[in-house]
Amino acid sequence: MDEENHLHRFGTPLEPLEKDEVPAKKPLAIEDQIVKDENGKRRFHGAFTGGFSAGFWNTVGSLEGWTPQNFKSSRGEKASKVQQRPEDFMDNEDLGEFGIAPQGIRTRDDFSKESEQEQRTGQRKRKLMQPQVAGPIPGVPVLEQLLRPVRDKVAVRILKSMGWKPGQGVGPRQTRKEKRLAMARNKREQYLLDHYGNEGLPSSTKQQHSEDAADDEDNDDEDEDEDEDITFAPDDYEPMFYTPKENRFGMSYSGLSRAPVLSKSSTTAAPMQHINLFGQMDTAAKQKPFSIRGQAFGVGAFEEEDEDIYAKDDMTRYDFSLADKQPQQKKAQYVQQRHVIDGFSEDKSNITHNKPFVIDLPRDFKPRNWLQRRSRFTPLDAERARKIAEADYKKAGLGRHDLNPEQRAQLLGESQVKKNPFKTTNSVSTQEQQERSKSLLELISAKSNNFTKGGLITTAGEELPATTVAPVELSKELQESNAALQAQAASKTKNLASSQPSSGFKPFLADEAKQQRYEKFLAANLKDDKEITEFLAELQPVTLSLWDREMEKKEFMQASKIYRPLAGLMLDRFVSEATVQEGNAKQEVQPEEKLKIVMKRTKAMWKPSALLCKRYNIAEPFGGALPEVENTLKGKAKMSIFDYLETSVNTKANFQTPTIIPKHIELPKQHQGQQQREQVTLPTSKPAPTAPVEEAEVKAPLESASSTATNPTFVSKTPLEHAVDAARDKPISEKIDLFKSIFDDSDEETEAPAVAQGQPPELERDAKIREMQAALGLPCTTATSAAAVNLLRNNSPPRGLFAALFKPPEEMVKPTEPAPTKFAPIPGNKLKIAYKSREERLRNDRELAMAEVPQEDLYGPKLPSQLKPTEVQAEASIDAKLQQLWQEHAPKKRKAEQWVERTLSSSEDSDEDSTDSSSDDSDVKAKKSKSKKSSSKKSKKSKQKSKKKSKKGEKSKHKSKKKKSKH
Amino acid sequence: MPAFLNFNCSKTIDCKQGAVRAVRYNVDGSYCLSCGSDKKIKLWNPVSGLLLKTYGGHADEVTDVAGSCDSSYIVSSSLDKSIIYWDVATGAPVRRLRSHAGGVRCVCFNEDSSIAISGGRDNAIMCWDIRTRRLDPVQVMKDAKDCITAVLTNDHKIFASSLDGCVRHYDIRVGELTCDEVGQPITYLAQTKDEQCLLVGCQDNTLRLLDCESGGLLSEYKGHQSADYHIECGILADDAHLVSGSSDGDAYVWDLLETKVLQRIRISDNGGVLHSLATHPKRQEMLFARRRDMYVFSTDLQIEEEQL
Repeated sequence: MDEENHLHRFGTPLEPLEKDEVPAKKPLAIEDQIVKDENGKRRFHGAFTGGFSAGFWNTVGSLEGWTPQNFKSSRGEKASKVQQRPEDFMDNEDLGEFGIAPQGIRTRDDFSKESEQEQRTGQRKRKLMQPQVAGPIPGVPVLEQLLRPVRDKVAVRILKSMGWKPGQGVGPRQTRKEKRLAMARNKREQYLLDHYGNEGLPSSTKQQHSEDAADDEDNDDEDEDEDEDITFAPDDYEPMFYTPKENRFGMSYSGLSRAPVLSKSSTTAAPMQHINLFGQMDTAAKQKPFSIRGQAFGVGAFEEEDEDIYAKDDMTRYDFSLADKQPQQKKAQYVQQRHVIDGFSEDKSNITHNKPFVIDLPRDFKPRNWLQRRSRFTPLDAERARKIAEADYKKAGLGRHDLNPEQRAQLLGESQVKKNPFKTTNSVSTQEQQERSKSLLELISAKSNNFTKGGLITTAGEELPATTVAPVELSKELQESNAALQAQAASKTKNLASSQPSSGFKPFLADEAKQQRYEKFLAANLKDDKEITEFLAELQPVTLSLWDREMEKKEFMQASKIYRPLAGLMLDRFVSEATVQEGNAKQEVQPEEKLKIVMKRTKAMWKPSALLCKRYNIAEPFGGALPEVENTLKGKAKMSIFDYLETSVNTKANFQTPTIIPKHIELPKQHQGQQQREQVTLPTSKPAPTAPVEEAEVKAPLESASSTATNPTFVSKTPLEHAVDAARDKPISEKIDLFKSIFDDSDEETEAPAVAQGQPPELERDAKIREMQAALGLPCTTATSAAAVNLLRNNSPPRGLFAALFKPPEEMVKPTEPAPTKFAPIPGNKLKIAYKSREERLRNDRELAMAEVPQEDLYGPKLPSQLKPTEVQAEASIDAKLQQLWQEHAPKKRKAEQWVERTLSSSEDSDEDSTDSSSDDSDVKAKKSKSKKSSSKKSKKSKQKSKKKSKKGEKSKHKSKKKKSKH
Repeated sequence: MPAFLNFNCSKTIDCKQGAVRAVRYNVDGSYCLSCGSDKKIKLWNPVSGLLLKTYGGHADEVTDVAGSCDSSYIVSSSLDKSIIYWDVATGAPVRRLRSHAGGVRCVCFNEDSSIAISGGRDNAIMCWDIRTRRLDPVQVMKDAKDCITAVLTNDHKIFASSLDGCVRHYDIRVGELTCDEVGQPITYLAQTKDEQCLLVGCQDNTLRLLDCESGGLLSEYKGHQSADYHIECGILADDAHLVSGSSDGDAYVWDLLETKVLQRIRISDNGGVLHSLATHPKRQEMLFARRRDMYVFSTDLQIEEEQL
């Protein structure tokens, strides 16, 4: 145990053998290994019964074995003879990869590449160049000839074009004799090739050739009579090729053939391997087919092939000639050729190489490679690229930094008016220095401008080293004055920004004088309007009209605003990085100072929703009696797009009335209103001021209720705006009041006066009403009759047809409409206001809105001036109030008055119509029948009012009937 | 008081859902949930690191998630302004609640999971009735002046922290809103087990312990870096230790009483912000979220106890 501990172990230990366990089997010997096919069956077996299994245990193809072929033949359809192929007798295995006839899809030779073909076939494509070693038929295999590709080779085509025909040989045409000779020679060669292969003996051939020649001589004589002129194409023959001997075997010894099993060559190769002593037998044997031949049969997979015991040889294959007639010189030649590569022969014609043709080029010719730039993406040559870049650079204006200011100015077309301001100061200070002013101030100030890296440039121009300048005694006084100077300089440069544009921007270039004036104007840098006028007046020529002067002034001011240099414009928008950083640094420092956290606790009421309490299983605080603090969710549980719409509608801008009301309108409202009453016929009078008066009454209660503390700035606004302002923050539900106030004016009219009286203008008006009442002999109360007010409206005597109307002098002090104003409403009319239908009210409002809109803001054709409803509204507002009073105080009078009116008007209907404005004609006619008996003084009223009036007319009809009955 | 045992990493889970926005335990701490920036929520077993379920349905990054008391439902908030109520088993979104006008930052359940409370970037806290099919909030509290960063609730109060530096207590029982102003933007809120104190994570690299009753500042805890991140903090199960993430990628554990850092848990050396964490409701165990990973940290003792 101890020893084991000291041992070092390497590698992984084998698993320990257990006693009972049988040791693992030895690895299988090759002999014992079994090759199996795809079906898991043993592949090789029975070396003498076939060598390998065929299909399913030698049953070819299927388990059942061969299925007998159907043979069917009838009289009509004779069974044709079935050509059977070898494949018919093979099974799939044989055709497979490892079978005897492997099959697969591959490209045809015509299409395959040469190398591919070579690889596959294992032989060179150009078979002609390779002597056929082991073919049964010498030369090109017959099959190959038969199955020649359709496409001729180039060489063949060339030959054909030269007159060659298939079957002919190539070469010069021959005479008959020559041809015969060649034929004999070829025959011989062929024979030799057949029997001795390509390892043929040159000597022997030569010899034979000479023999041939001798033979031919005999024939020559016979054919001498033949014409020498007739020539023939040479016969085609297989040229003799020699292959070098690579081995040291005996001559024409090829060793045992390694030709594959079943290859045909084995039969033909056989004679070469064994000596056939009986030549005759050979021929006989050739005629008689052998049933069993070669190694094909009975050779197992792992067995060596048997020697070809059946091979034969015969004596004809041996050369018996002993004579060596080869001339000596030939041998020498052969030796000479030895250093020539095999297959080649030395060129005998000693051609001297010509000097290459040289063109005389012009002296200044510069060769250019056109392929230098193959595409536009390839880089240009360096110089060209540089040139192009340079040009682009300049074009883009990037080269401006290479230019000096003068050049730039020239490019920009600027005349160099201004010099560097620093230079001017410099020159100034030089003068001063020349004056030798004792103080160094100027010097320093100048130097501060001429600050250079190394030191300071003196005003004289030479550079002083910093050390010499630094000790310049800068007393406190000096420093102060220096600072003052610098401040001055700063102020100057500040102006520079605004004054410099004159050189840069010339808005009035077309008019040179004007431009000059402009520049002077800029230089003066005036602010006050009056000053500018005076300043320009001096400059401007006398010929300029006053209007032109004014225009010019405006133009200049505009131009000076617009044409500011970018620097000036942007100056205030940017800060230097340094200042930003400084600020940041400050900020960073600040938070380091520890902030003492002081807890603040605030408490507020909060109402949890009932459901929340329920879910938390808690009773609602205070029994749910807590006031709803937060009702934002009320009424809009879900997010709705209309919520947003609403807010947009309620913005102040949307409710701004388009009327332009001067700010000082608030106080003299009443006066204006009165004035307007006089200006009835004045068409240009603005209706705007009247509207607020009316609205003030209408909105008064609302205003007082909602906006208790109005912002003083809001004074100028209309009361409606006040209301909107106040209501903006409220939920919609509360805004109902506002909408009511806008769309439902009459409802509040009743309560209006009470509140309105609190306001000074209202008081004023009431006072006037009281006055009138006094004048009319009515009881002097706050309550006055509408008729009394009507009197106020127009004191002028009745005119036109009204003059006729009001002729009867016996009329008592009736509060009727004495005024001939077309729009003056009768009290009766006013009375009914309270009962207006909603539609009518709305219509009324629309009219009001129209009235508010100034003439300029209206679309469409201009309304006829007579139709302007302004006065009506103006009156309506007062009448609304008065009507109440009327109801309270003078019911009797009212009746009387109505009655009178009616009687009067009834007779005058037709006349009145004729005076009507043409626009209202049809309308009036339409209601004519109804209103015949009724008063129709108000027929001038706008169309919208007609309905209302007709109603009133009906009502008054009833009344008049009553009265008539009374009478 | 037991001695403090250092936390060790017991599991690292690559959530494979983009940046992990939040990690949360379920009610008993046997499972955990991670919210990914890939709009998905994943349910994990924190012990084995097994992914149990993925919940996909949000339209934007999921910011917070909470499991119901019976662990059968999940409520999640997302920057898509919606809150989704999930069925754990089927993985189907049961209800999608939309009313927030901005991305929803945080969400929680009340004790019996009948109400979900969410706070969002629209400064509103909304209470949702989960029991009924009501799709609009039961109550909306819009008192905050800035984004709500965390909501909490106990049996009668709703706590909400906001970036306006206030912690608001909505006391349902009393019907009173108490606003404790810290003065620093608050990024997270945690409550002690005894419901007496609130731990607020402030933007000024400080954790503060507030007294619920009086609103007084009890103590401050410093050491970590919050930078400009929503760094979350937590109170460990023993109520004696606090933990907070940090922008430097570490987690800090403080002693609640002594306010000193007991352990600085270095999770990784290659940066990342440790922004979200969750403390186990019972054990000394924590979840951290950093980048794309979720880490489970625990004291070894705890695990041993569990195994025995």
